[in-house]
Amino acid sequence: MLKIKAGKDFWSGIMFLCFAIVELYIARGYSMGSSGEMGPGYFPVVLGIVLGALGALLVARAIIAGDEPVAGASIRPLLLLVASVVVFGVTIEPLGLVLSLVLTVAIAALAGRQSGPLEIALLAAALAVLSVGIFHFALLLPLPIWPAL
Amino acid sequence: MDFLTNLGTGFGVALTVTNLLYCFVGVLLGTLVGVLPGIGPVTTVAMLLPFSFTLPPESALIMLAGIYYGAQYGGSTTAILVNIPGEASSVVTTIDGHKMALAGRAGPALGIAALGSFFAGCVATVLIVVAAPPLAAIALSFGPAEYFSLMVCGLVAAIVLARGSVVKALGMMVLGLMFGLVGTDINSGIRRFTFGFRGLADGIEFVALSMAVYGLADIALNLEKKEENVEVHSRIGRVWPTWADIRHCIPAILRGTGLGSVLGVLPGGGALLAAFAAYTLEKKVAKKPRSFGDGDIRGVAAPESANNAGAQTSFIPMLTLGIPSNPTMAMMIGAMMIHGISPGPRVMTDRPGLFWGLIVSMWLGNLMLVILNLPLIGMWVKLLRMPYRLLYPSIVVFCCIGTYTVNSNLFDVYVMAFFAVFGYVCVKLECEPAPLILGFVLGPMMEENLRRSLLISRGDAMVFVQEPISLFFLIVAAGLLLVVALPGIRRTREEAMQE
Repeated sequence: MLKIKAGKDFWSGIMFLCFAIVELYIARGYSMGSSGEMGPGYFPVVLGIVLGALGALLVARAIIAGDEPVAGASIRPLLLLVASVVVFGVTIEPLGLVLSLVLTVAIAALAGRQSGPLEIALLAAALAVLSVGIFHFALLLPLPIWPAL
Repeated sequence: MDFLTNLGTGFGVALTVTNLLYCFVGVLLGTLVGVLPGIGPVTTVAMLLPFSFTLPPESALIMLAGIYYGAQYGGSTTAILVNIPGEASSVVTTIDGHKMALAGRAGPALGIAALGSFFAGCVATVLIVVAAPPLAAIALSFGPAEYFSLMVCGLVAAIVLARGSVVKALGMMVLGLMFGLVGTDINSGIRRFTFGFRGLADGIEFVALSMAVYGLADIALNLEKKEENVEVHSRIGRVWPTWADIRHCIPAILRGTGLGSVLGVLPGGGALLAAFAAYTLEKKVAKKPRSFGDGDIRGVAAPESANNAGAQTSFIPMLTLGIPSNPTMAMMIGAMMIHGISPGPRVMTDRPGLFWGLIVSMWLGNLMLVILNLPLIGMWVKLLRMPYRLLYPSIVVFCCIGTYTVNSNLFDVYVMAFFAVFGYVCVKLECEPAPLILGFVLGPMMEENLRRSLLISRGDAMVFVQEPISLFFLIVAAGLLLVVALPGIRRTREEAMQE
């Protein structure tokens, strides 16, 4: 019995196909030129076609030859990690390194679920102090330390 | 003799106080991340890339190289004492190394790992000194067509030797090439695939991409696993192996070094493959293969020599051809580019101090590693108890600050956040990120060489098969692809990867 179960190969193929379609869609606006004088669209279009073909091959193979299911993903750690990075981006310039890192570390530590509030506070403070020491005083990188007033 | 003048130049650069210090920092950090499970050399090199910007290029590359081969030493410590490979390349060492530790022979296992690594490191350094100049000389005569075919060959070989599905690896490579094209096209000045973001005009920041894929995505995956309680066998005993042990191991170390040196040069090779192959070879040639798996000291000596040899010879294609054979080498190329050095055969002639200094520093670094490792093993063991929940927020902080400071551009931080999600999805779908990183580094160079060779030949694609060297590379690439496509060989490959 042929039963389509979307698994690792299937979704990899879909991912490649999506990238290829978006890429080709955008690349249609660039001039192709000729093979002797390639335009900015030439190489991208070749890559897009190859990637699309590979994606299609993966999808076809998954449907015909079967597929392995994707292992369970827990979204929480990933989301909190990404959130901590975004928070760093949003706060580093207005709040400065110290406060920004305290927030970043606190959110990142929540992703692991294993630290208590006290440990998170201590870790955040320690990393903030350490980073100011390393990046500001030792490496002399141009980072704002405190909120700009 | 050229050979001696070159080494003289190298010692002149490597023996300065600053460079000795950075070499020491590199191997120390390398050992540290090698010991700590959950953070590897690729992540560390990525994390330190932006800060190496503040150093002179010689010191920066010496330090980054030290991290890579230092991690090979550190990884064995964890493998032997805790049965957890601190590094992927130490996976095989756990088999016999940990059995030895259980039998109270942890000391000799650690000792032979360090001595074997040191011997392999010395041989590999000599090999680089001997092999690099002629290779670079050949590469200097390459035109754009040869370069394009060489890159195709390198990428294909990297895929064939990688783990997992070949189709997926190819896809990841093409995707990497595409990501490499984002930004302003140097020939037409058109901004490609920037989605209207000004932050992408200079392309996707390499540091942001590599930290996202090797730093953040890795953390997300590690956090899904339960933190295991680390059980350390702290009774190490005598570190120095007995004469009988050493004599017993000499052939294994020699074979491991030889095999590792060869596999390190191949694209896709490097430390990991070398260690696996060396262990398999020892089991094949041993008279009593049964003892393997029950704490045979040769099962530690061979893979540990091989991974260190492989780690070092993988610098050969990077330094002479500008072709990265593994993600760490891609990072080294990234570091050179940050410093405005274009990697390739010209590095040796244009910056002899950098080239020879780096090579000599590898030998000095290996010497430091033996000294660091044998007496200080007790200290490293204590570090093993550092829980991951304290370690990973530090990695996040480093990634954020690092990415931000490369260009002082906030956009790069968001790019990193995006690719962290992408990297996580890829690993979940069993798409290896290594070919993506290699493709990303080679993408722009590949397009440029393709464009130039076809410009010269006036659009005639036959140029790639008419030039003999170019044809050779393409035949090798096609042969490799054909070989993995054959079902019989595919099966052995899968078995070999699983072992």
